[in-house]
Amino acid sequence: MTTKGTNAETTMTEVGATQKSSIGVAEILAWSSRNGVFVFTALLIIAALVFVDGFASLINVTDVFHRAAPVGIVAVGMTFVVISGNYLDLSVVAQVATAGVILIAVSNTHGIFIAMVAALMAAILFALVNGIAVGVFKANAVIVTLATTFIGLGVLRYFSGGSIFFGPPDGIIKAFGMGKVGPIPYSAIVLLVMTILLSILLNRTNFGFLIRSFGVNESATRLGGSNTALIVFGAFLVTAIAAMVAGFVLAAFSNTAVSNDGVGYDFRALAAIIVGGTSVFGGRGSVFRTLLGVIFVSVLTNILVLSGISFGYQQIALGALIVFAVSLDAIGRKVAR
Amino acid sequence: MVTAESEFGPVLIEADAITKSFGGAVAVDNVSISVRAGEIYGLVGENGAGKSTLMRVLAGILSPDQGEVRVDGKPVQPGARAAISAGISLVHQELSLVPEMTVAENILLGSFPTKVGFTEYRKLRQIAADALAEIGVGVDLDERVGRLSVALRQFVEIARAVAKKPRILIFDEPTATLTPAETDYLLAMLRRLADGGMAIIYISHRIPEIFSTCSTVAILRDGKLVRSSSIDSLTPSQVVDQMVGRELGLDLATKRTATPGAVVLDAQGITAPKVNNVSVQVRSGEIVGLGGLVGAGRSELVRAIIGADDRTAGSVTLTHNGETITIGSYQSAVRNGVAYVPEERRIDGLALSMSVEDNIRLPNRKELSVAGFKVGSKTAQVAQLLADKVGLRPPEIRRDVGEYSGGNQQKVVLAKWLGRRPKFIVLDEPTRGVDVGAKAEIHRLVKEIADQGTAVLIVSSDLPELLELSDTIHVMRDGHVTGTLSKEEASEKSVMSLASGETIVRSS
Repeated sequence: MTTKGTNAETTMTEVGATQKSSIGVAEILAWSSRNGVFVFTALLIIAALVFVDGFASLINVTDVFHRAAPVGIVAVGMTFVVISGNYLDLSVVAQVATAGVILIAVSNTHGIFIAMVAALMAAILFALVNGIAVGVFKANAVIVTLATTFIGLGVLRYFSGGSIFFGPPDGIIKAFGMGKVGPIPYSAIVLLVMTILLSILLNRTNFGFLIRSFGVNESATRLGGSNTALIVFGAFLVTAIAAMVAGFVLAAFSNTAVSNDGVGYDFRALAAIIVGGTSVFGGRGSVFRTLLGVIFVSVLTNILVLSGISFGYQQIALGALIVFAVSLDAIGRKVAR
Repeated sequence: MVTAESEFGPVLIEADAITKSFGGAVAVDNVSISVRAGEIYGLVGENGAGKSTLMRVLAGILSPDQGEVRVDGKPVQPGARAAISAGISLVHQELSLVPEMTVAENILLGSFPTKVGFTEYRKLRQIAADALAEIGVGVDLDERVGRLSVALRQFVEIARAVAKKPRILIFDEPTATLTPAETDYLLAMLRRLADGGMAIIYISHRIPEIFSTCSTVAILRDGKLVRSSSIDSLTPSQVVDQMVGRELGLDLATKRTATPGAVVLDAQGITAPKVNNVSVQVRSGEIVGLGGLVGAGRSELVRAIIGADDRTAGSVTLTHNGETITIGSYQSAVRNGVAYVPEERRIDGLALSMSVEDNIRLPNRKELSVAGFKVGSKTAQVAQLLADKVGLRPPEIRRDVGEYSGGNQQKVVLAKWLGRRPKFIVLDEPTRGVDVGAKAEIHRLVKEIADQGTAVLIVSSDLPELLELSDTIHVMRDGHVTGTLSKEEASEKSVMSLASGETIVRSS
């Protein structure tokens, strides 16, 4: 064997092989799992514009974004946990409700600033418990966050007695919930700002890089000299802060809060993340994709509502969509190997 | 053992012109061998010479690109099941037992006797007991394998192969983890099985074993069959020379002559699982080698030194420019100039689905950012510089590391640490699974790193490599250092005798 020549050739053939492999059904499916959301979202919007009465009005479109905002904000945050390879954070259900209840209840007695600080403390506490159990003790994220959902809701119901809290009728919270810039509701602006900020955090900072690196290979990331427990805690903290903001936005909608406000947010956020093409195996994905996923799921729901399809069928559609999207993700991963 | 050829029966198994490549790299190149009933056929070669690949082709685990395997003159159909029913059985190099299951269950793993879907436990125990009796090993059938010693597990692995009633039995380095007494036992067992009419193919790195046990020896180098002949027509040193393809000992020209400086790494009394009170010092500019057999505790030692695994006792200090720091956690080690090229680069060393640039960025991220934000231009520039320095081919830093060959992947691991100008670097099996060309380049890089004043600690099971690179060699066995050899004292013979605990008398 001549040393240098052979080596270069080997590399070239290996590199070439991945590029020229023939295109089969599996490859198409794999491509769809990564990029399908762009095509499908565009197709869905075009279809809605053409076929669905009442979709193409300004009121309807702003309403879609307004309704999508709280789940969307949770989803862009939870994208960090998914990319870190820890599947998801189910406790957003409790986190959204906790933030809303604290915001309304505490601002009634101590003012809004103290209320927001208290909600932030609660968010950090959620992130600490999740982060220590998953990051330090390597416990399974799904089970840990299922348990912290129970704990969080339990504590919340103990203190609130399950009652509904009403904010002052002419306070800043209500003003925010009703507020608009031109036709665009504040809630949609918060979603957009969160998406941009978290996108920068994920793509431009060392913290975001470590989240991705950890999602690809935990061991190599640790042996690269980084504190993996802190990375996991960071992912849960970003999610918790996003869930807190979502809780604020949701509470402001109606100027009320109750302990079951966050029900269903875990699954709907995950749906948006997966449909956006972020891999549940970790490492691959983006915040912007999640925003597209949110838009796709919201537009789809809106079409079903406008077409007079009942809630049961909407649930079936969403469930089927997720089975489809995660299967594509798994196929895509297999093909990539 | 001198045996006349006429003693053996007819040819049982033939490999005819076998060729097998992986992604353009030829692992086995047009190799033909044939083994008779009652014969013990030795197969030797350096790491990566293609021995294991050839054996896996024989066992039907891999299908050859060209050529065929014949038993009794009839071609064997592809697939592991067909090979087993043709009477070929392989004792794996890496233990593939299930620790949670019992000895009996492991022996019959994958072929439990059943009646209408239910396991027949009595029959299972009977078959397992017969297999153990055949190889003459007494072990409790109901003991969980996880509780057995490594040696006993090796024998259970053999019983598993014997339980398939093979006519051809292949051993892939079975003595790598055994003590001398256990090895003697195993070799006696081999002779007994061969006397019973089995054809045995025996792979080993240990030349004395080949000479004491085999009647024929085949030498593989770079995937090609260099020689196959009766053991009587060869001397051990001829075998070694043909394995390596060059005269050993005439290679002094490539050895380094730089004089080591002050002590950089001082590890005292390191104790950890599989490591018992070991002390190591490495000087600036010095390459210290750790020799020993697989399982001797070398990887565990280096991981305990740098804090990648916990140590139960011992202290580690790092001295640079007169300043001494105690090394506790792995993170503090890396912060203070320690670099680690792990044994399993695809698992511990690289994020395969990330780019070369990102992999290089990982340990260097703080230097390549401002206030936590990545400086893109600087990152790309540094990554490109390092990729060029290690000779990555093609030097494209945006490409995923997983698309590169093993040798190039290892260069990326080196590149990411070189960026930190380490004061102390640990290299664990730095050229395992790497092609010959990349291996030479990695050796050149390692010498360069040492010449720039870095203290280097290298673990290698590749003896020529260990001898070529090391200024000092500590040899380990069972978690202890059994001897330390200077460059002048070190030879394959002296390392192997310390590693195996037996005195090897090489006939000449």
